[in-house]
Amino acid sequence: MLAYIGRRALLAVFTVWAISVLSFAIIQLPPGDYVTSYIAQMASMGSVVTDEEAQNLRIQYGLGQPIYVQYFKWMRLVVQGNFGMSMEWRRPVTEVIGERLWLTVVVSVAALLLTWVLALPIGIYSAVRQYSVGDYLATFVGFIGLAVPNFLLALVLLYLGFVFFNAHIGGLFSPEFQDAPWSGARAWDLIKHLPIPAVILGLAGTAQQIRIMRANLLDELRKPYVVTARSKGLPEARVILRYPVRVALNPFASTIGYTLPYIVSGSIIVSLVLGLPTVGPLLLKALIAQDMFLAGTIVLLLGVMTVIGTLVSDILLVWVDPRIRLEET
Amino acid sequence: MTGLGQSPRTRQRRSRIVMALLVGLLVALGAAGAIAQVGKSSLIGKLEGPEVVTDAGKWPKSFKEAPQLAELVKAGKLPPVAERIGQDPLVIKPLKEIGKYGGTWRAGFTGPADFWNGFRCCSGPDHLMFWDYTGDKVLPNLAKGLEMQDGGRAWLLHLRRGMKWSDGKPFTADDFVFWFEDIYRNKDLVPTPSAAMAINGKQGTVEKVDASTVRFKFAEPYFMFPDVLAGSTDLAGQMWGYRALGGFAPAHYLKQFHPKYVSAADLDKKVKDAKFDSWVRLFLNRNDWAVNPDLPVLSAWKTVSPINTPTWTLERNPYSVFVDTAGNQLPYIDRVVLTLAENLEVLNLRAIAGEYDYASRHVDLGKLPVFLENQQKGNYKVYLDPGDYCDLIIKFNLNYDADPEIGKWFNTADFRRALSLGIDRDQINETFWLGTGTPGSVVPADNNKYNPGPQYRKLWSTLDVKKANEMLDKIGLAKKDGDGYRLRADGKGRLRIEIMTLGGQFVQYTQIAEMIRDQWKKIGIDLKVQEVERSLALQRTANNEQQLGAWNNDGSEHLFTFPLHVFPFELASVATSGPLYVKWFHSAGAQGKEPEPRMKELMEKWKKAFGVPEKERIQLGKDVWRIAAEEVYIIGVVGMGPASMGVRVVKNNMGNIPSRQYNSPDGKTPGISRPATFFYKN
Amino acid sequence: MADPGVALDPTSAPLPGPSAVVDPREPRIFVASQWQLMWWRFRRHKVAVASALVVIGFYLVVLGADFLAYADPNASEAQRSLMPPQRVYWFDEGRFSPHVYGVKGARDPQSFKRVYVADPERKISLRFFAEGFEYRLFGLIPTTRHLIGAEGGPGSAPAVFLLGTDVQGRDLWSRLMYGTRISLTIGLFGVTVSLVLGVVLGGLSGFYGGVADTIIQRIIEILRSIPTIPLWMGLAAALPRDWSVLQVYFAITIIISLLGWTELARVVRGRFLAMREEDFVVSARLVGCSQMRTIFVHMVPSFMSHIIAATTLALPAMIISETALSFLGLGLRPPAISWGVLLQQAQNVQTVAISPWLMLPAVPVIVAVMAFNFLGDGLRDAADPYGR
Repeated sequence: MLAYIGRRALLAVFTVWAISVLSFAIIQLPPGDYVTSYIAQMASMGSVVTDEEAQNLRIQYGLGQPIYVQYFKWMRLVVQGNFGMSMEWRRPVTEVIGERLWLTVVVSVAALLLTWVLALPIGIYSAVRQYSVGDYLATFVGFIGLAVPNFLLALVLLYLGFVFFNAHIGGLFSPEFQDAPWSGARAWDLIKHLPIPAVILGLAGTAQQIRIMRANLLDELRKPYVVTARSKGLPEARVILRYPVRVALNPFASTIGYTLPYIVSGSIIVSLVLGLPTVGPLLLKALIAQDMFLAGTIVLLLGVMTVIGTLVSDILLVWVDPRIRLEET
Repeated sequence: MTGLGQSPRTRQRRSRIVMALLVGLLVALGAAGAIAQVGKSSLIGKLEGPEVVTDAGKWPKSFKEAPQLAELVKAGKLPPVAERIGQDPLVIKPLKEIGKYGGTWRAGFTGPADFWNGFRCCSGPDHLMFWDYTGDKVLPNLAKGLEMQDGGRAWLLHLRRGMKWSDGKPFTADDFVFWFEDIYRNKDLVPTPSAAMAINGKQGTVEKVDASTVRFKFAEPYFMFPDVLAGSTDLAGQMWGYRALGGFAPAHYLKQFHPKYVSAADLDKKVKDAKFDSWVRLFLNRNDWAVNPDLPVLSAWKTVSPINTPTWTLERNPYSVFVDTAGNQLPYIDRVVLTLAENLEVLNLRAIAGEYDYASRHVDLGKLPVFLENQQKGNYKVYLDPGDYCDLIIKFNLNYDADPEIGKWFNTADFRRALSLGIDRDQINETFWLGTGTPGSVVPADNNKYNPGPQYRKLWSTLDVKKANEMLDKIGLAKKDGDGYRLRADGKGRLRIEIMTLGGQFVQYTQIAEMIRDQWKKIGIDLKVQEVERSLALQRTANNEQQLGAWNNDGSEHLFTFPLHVFPFELASVATSGPLYVKWFHSAGAQGKEPEPRMKELMEKWKKAFGVPEKERIQLGKDVWRIAAEEVYIIGVVGMGPASMGVRVVKNNMGNIPSRQYNSPDGKTPGISRPATFFYKN
Repeated sequence: MADPGVALDPTSAPLPGPSAVVDPREPRIFVASQWQLMWWRFRRHKVAVASALVVIGFYLVVLGADFLAYADPNASEAQRSLMPPQRVYWFDEGRFSPHVYGVKGARDPQSFKRVYVADPERKISLRFFAEGFEYRLFGLIPTTRHLIGAEGGPGSAPAVFLLGTDVQGRDLWSRLMYGTRISLTIGLFGVTVSLVLGVVLGGLSGFYGGVADTIIQRIIEILRSIPTIPLWMGLAAALPRDWSVLQVYFAITIIISLLGWTELARVVRGRFLAMREEDFVVSARLVGCSQMRTIFVHMVPSFMSHIIAATTLALPAMIISETALSFLGLGLRPPAISWGVLLQQAQNVQTVAISPWLMLPAVPVIVAVMAFNFLGDGLRDAADPYGR
């Protein structure tokens, strides 16, 4: 077991390095660089960037150098714990991301909780009452989140929130609480802003979880011990909930590892539409602006989260299900 | 359905239908008439604005200040207000009335790249000279006066005596010399010198005459200098501090970050502590008006919470030199709070909901009906401020050579003119400008001093499909294929041209290009619409790969400070008329390609205007526009519209708000309406 | 699923499976092919059957988009901008005579909205198989017949607007028809590419194991670690600029599918791993079948059903990805028409507040995604030999 973890950990380091190279390359793939993106951005806002200024910027940001030089400069900083300066934000990358990280986690966790709260009961019901009307209805509800284009839904909910509830538009805090010190009122303000993102994001993930839950539970329900329990006279609810569900949750729990990157990045599109100050829109804007260090760091972070998450999931799986261990040999 | 065998109910219904029809007809007529008058709709007011009082005799002798500042004076933490302002206040007569102190101005911004948002609303503006509210005349602003000497070769700038930086230190000629010697001339900070400090390619110098007088000296007469100081050029004050330009800088503060005044070891440590990788980046960061709360400023408000945080907050500058005619130190409003809205729909929706007190930047004209619908609920009023320039232009890349035949046609004047005649501008105006724009050519508004004459508005800029077809037939494109599209003269099939548009802008360039594609079918031109991402657009224009490009030419009504969309002027442009011509222009003929005679004439006239007196310059400006309108290097489609920051939403409780203001980048709108005089009535 | 896993002893207790539909004593069940068994079980899942019909319906639209549209999807007209859907009146004085009323529109100078008033005097009859703009049926036969149309003959200006118009005055119904065609075909091509990649790479990984497996697994892991959006952006931006809309659209589908194959590969790999040790595979090898034959003739068919199910479930993901890409400005762009493009043009406050009919393209998206999902679930349940 320890050998297995050790081997995977080593592979993980290699994977992370490969991700760093790939992500840096991908960020550079679109034509132009930070300066061209900046010029176009200024132009959209009605300002002019002179050729001299463009030239000066390129020199000052070192953008004229070849990519691998820029990559090594960045890597040198990374191993020192310094992730570079964001050109767009003119602040260290760690500050820019750090500011948003905890909020991102809050939103993502809220969405995940909602997903599980919805998906587990629906999945269980769907497995137990397969092909019944209730099954179809419940699955319908579960799938609707997947089917509705969530960027449109987000905008519609924003607008309806304004029209009917005079709700503050988007974001996670009302302006008066944005910079205020922590208090009960501020926490309540944050909670008031969570429903819309949590609902939209939560619903989107239910379909997948319902499927997994249902499939696992169906597998369990066919096993002989269920028949035994029933024939022993246990009430149906206990039969199902006590044993099969718990076993069905096992492989399900290991998928928690895969949610790790999601928790850190949040959703990009919905967060953008709702104006949430999370890591997702930050990444998108950094990519568009070709703000190399910021985009590269976030992508690296997500990659690392994914690798850690996969590792955690696999370890959990191996721990729980001995058969899988054999597969790896 | 006619006939005698109809029941009375049918007859009654028919007469009701006739009535309805008549009413409908009247409504339609009325609406049509109203549309024709939309220019005079209640949303567009009369141009007005506060005035600067230049006559020292009329300046107030005693001053008052905001209550919280008075408290600080009493506590001994601030010197008294008269001392803070100095002997030469900048007196502004508010538009409507003397205001009250207090309040927080709520607005939105889109991120750290949106610093113009703050320059426009809250810098004062802090130019040395600035425009009056019409955008036409240049008046003293932070400088008390500007004096021409030596036939235009020297300009004497008189500073206001006793004027201070926001930290209380005096603002003197030393700040100009420091900027010129230690910043502008430092090759690390400014690798390429600015064209604003040069006339006919020769750089000027700055020297101190005495504590409150500075002289800018040039090798040749530089008559345009006052305009350059007033416009948003490189000498426009501290907003350009982050680029090491602006004309002046707080020497006493910035010396600690400059290698000439601080030991290398000290500077190194400062750089490392701030996590920068070079002193240049540290210096520029410290000289950034929007990012550094410690930077001493001269603007009406100063940054306290920088732009690269979720809330950009600015507070009143206690040493502000701006006062109103009653002696109240401006600004009236205590703070300005800009909250981050990274998504433009969210920003607009917040404005619609009335969460912003004054918003014009990033407001989308397409949402005008929604704004109007919510005026009462949000307790605000909507104003339209049309600009004086074209909201939509289409540029021909005259240097396009990847396909010689297309390059040839782009350089044929009649081809360009015919394409211009094939555009149905009324359709575009109605659909995308909601009818508020003025279809026409590239020339600026009629009241602009460089406008060559009213006949140039419609020159080659009406819809005349017949004439367009005739012209195209005559130049050699008469043969058409089975679908009605013209064939190339070189026999290689259908003539296809391509227009490049940028997505995600407020002006829907791509959709407009689609409409034009539809319209050009009637003149037999096959147009391909290619929407690109912004970086890609810049790369293509710089590499001479763009054929046609769509953009706007805002700012160009100030022809000499914003020529970017009048003729090929910058390589870094989202739409170009000829990158090789740009190189030729800037290298005085050494590089690039020499333009054809009329374009050359246009460029030469433009260059000459900087060094000649005003009357001659105005004539040159008119000539430039005349050539542009006649040659149609750039097709003007819809102009004088409010699409670019022209839709203004202002809460009803704000005072001294003009009913219409001059809308232009040079005017730093709303800066030109002196937001320091805005106040909250309750 | 080699033989139907049913005991040959007809007197044993009824087993789960098709026995619920067919009496296990019936000889039919013993000789029924794998596909027949699947079909019998699929039939039980009513919703899946209904979804299958819906999907077929969608693809009929794909084939007949030109026929179903009645206006040129690119014909713009400012005076028709933002018309709400027209109400169709089915009866005229008791006779079945569908018609709409002509509409006059103008911009209200106070509210700046476009206001349309139905003109009761101008009745425009709707005809079936009417003549309209010209197109090529199945890309071959030039014709002007459309499902419905107004009187007026071929090439006349559109006069009916069932779902209203967009900002440029273009008919939404017709645009929706063309959009359906593109959106649903993108899915097919992308899924095919994903399928091929997934089966091949997953198969290699599972069948051979060892080094090949490790390398492929690491590649999968790396691809899954990189957030999709930067990958999309990078790849989309690298497309050559002079490609036509069609070429760009193919490239987009390939880009999406390049990321989608990983899921399928894992499933295939899992199946191969499990099946390697099965008796029938071992016996095939012992008998002397080549590796290729073993794989393709014996192993693949046994999880074909799973593949089909997974593929069907990949399609809605394609559809959603396409809309997301359009939202980001990376996918199809105007002047192309797809569900994503239509939704992207509706993604603004003025549409939600004032012209909500422009959000109607969301309906076919929702219906299609739900239908594919139910269909895929039904197929997978039917393919599963151990299900009830």
